[in-house]
Amino acid sequence: MNDEATTVVADLEAGIGTLTRLDAAAVDATVVVVEPTLRSIDVARRAIAVADEQRQGRVVVVANKVSDDDDRARIDEAFEDRVLIVVPEDPAIDVADRLGLSPVDHEPQAPAVAALESLVDALGLASV
Amino acid sequence: MEEPMPLADSSSMMRVAFVGKGGAGKSTIAGTFARLLARRGQPVLALDSDPMPGMPYALGVAVDDCPIPDDVVVSGGEGEPRWVLRSDLDAAAIVDRYAAEGPDGVRYLQFGNLWGHVVRLQKAQHAWSQVVAELDRDQWHLVGDLPGGTRQAMFGWARYADTVCLVVESTVKSMHTAARLLTLSQAKWGPSSLVLVVNKACDDSDAARICERLELPAAAVVPHDPEAGRGDRRGAAPLDAAPDGALAHAVDALVDRVVSLYSFGEEVAG
Repeated sequence: MNDEATTVVADLEAGIGTLTRLDAAAVDATVVVVEPTLRSIDVARRAIAVADEQRQGRVVVVANKVSDDDDRARIDEAFEDRVLIVVPEDPAIDVADRLGLSPVDHEPQAPAVAALESLVDALGLASV
Repeated sequence: MEEPMPLADSSSMMRVAFVGKGGAGKSTIAGTFARLLARRGQPVLALDSDPMPGMPYALGVAVDDCPIPDDVVVSGGEGEPRWVLRSDLDAAAIVDRYAAEGPDGVRYLQFGNLWGHVVRLQKAQHAWSQVVAELDRDQWHLVGDLPGGTRQAMFGWARYADTVCLVVESTVKSMHTAARLLTLSQAKWGPSSLVLVVNKACDDSDAARICERLELPAAAVVPHDPEAGRGDRRGAAPLDAAPDGALAHAVDALVDRVVSLYSFGEEVAG
């Protein structure tokens, strides 16, 4: 694809299998989505290591479903040296999931949706 | 689809695999299922074919990465797989040496976690597959956890199982994946029985919606369990975080339901 006006957003399979199969430097940025559970943090660390090793652009960590200070502390400790976007636990996302709707369509003002605006900023997409 | 019929098996052990979309709760339920079955005095081998950590947390196994070393295999001959177990090793020896010891006496066998390129796990994957295929049917109850999604399941990684538990939560995405996984029962190597497990149910309507969508009765409805969820965040197994919680009770009922499918069910029933 050779279209500089188009941003491609790819959702990879869970885990790091697909990430390890990408050609080196295949993307401009890698967004690692993590929940504040130890097992999810474990997987995210592996994903970051692969992304760094394969030079998959800027790595941004999105901490999803963060519900309290303990969650936040766990995430901060694990990813203190990374660009971090925190998305709060948000019932609106659960409702959208159950209805099969995009959260942006279901409740555009939801806190989780608002938090993702800062992801767009972090990736430098707002100016495109 | 009709209610599963009891299996006309000659084995004295169950072989159960858990499948479903990522995040549906397969590992959580599979690990809890394995421990509750072991608490009935049964020998249980937990099988993990997911190269990402998950089941160890649900079991409460102290180590989450206990790979089968590469030197247990040698190049296969003509007509054999790419790698086969060394002639001085068999399935029982591999379990004895490399399956981690977990709570309640459960043993836990994985081929190892993925830290980098997939190829690095190739030998261990072959070893794991051969072990699972050649295990003595009368020695262990097998409780397996597959990675989320359809890929591994559709490629036959659950063929060791005679019962497949399809774990579904009440989201459109989860039900969509489950609908695809239902076709497993039509495979030549498919399980004798496929049962539906509704997870994270907030109310009765969640189970009703899933059963209607998949045209299958629920073998178990596992409610949302906040205490188990809090334990999950700090890496505690559900049975350790909420031993008397709603999740534990529902999975114990699932154990009853699954053993009832087998001819020896009364011996294992709680």
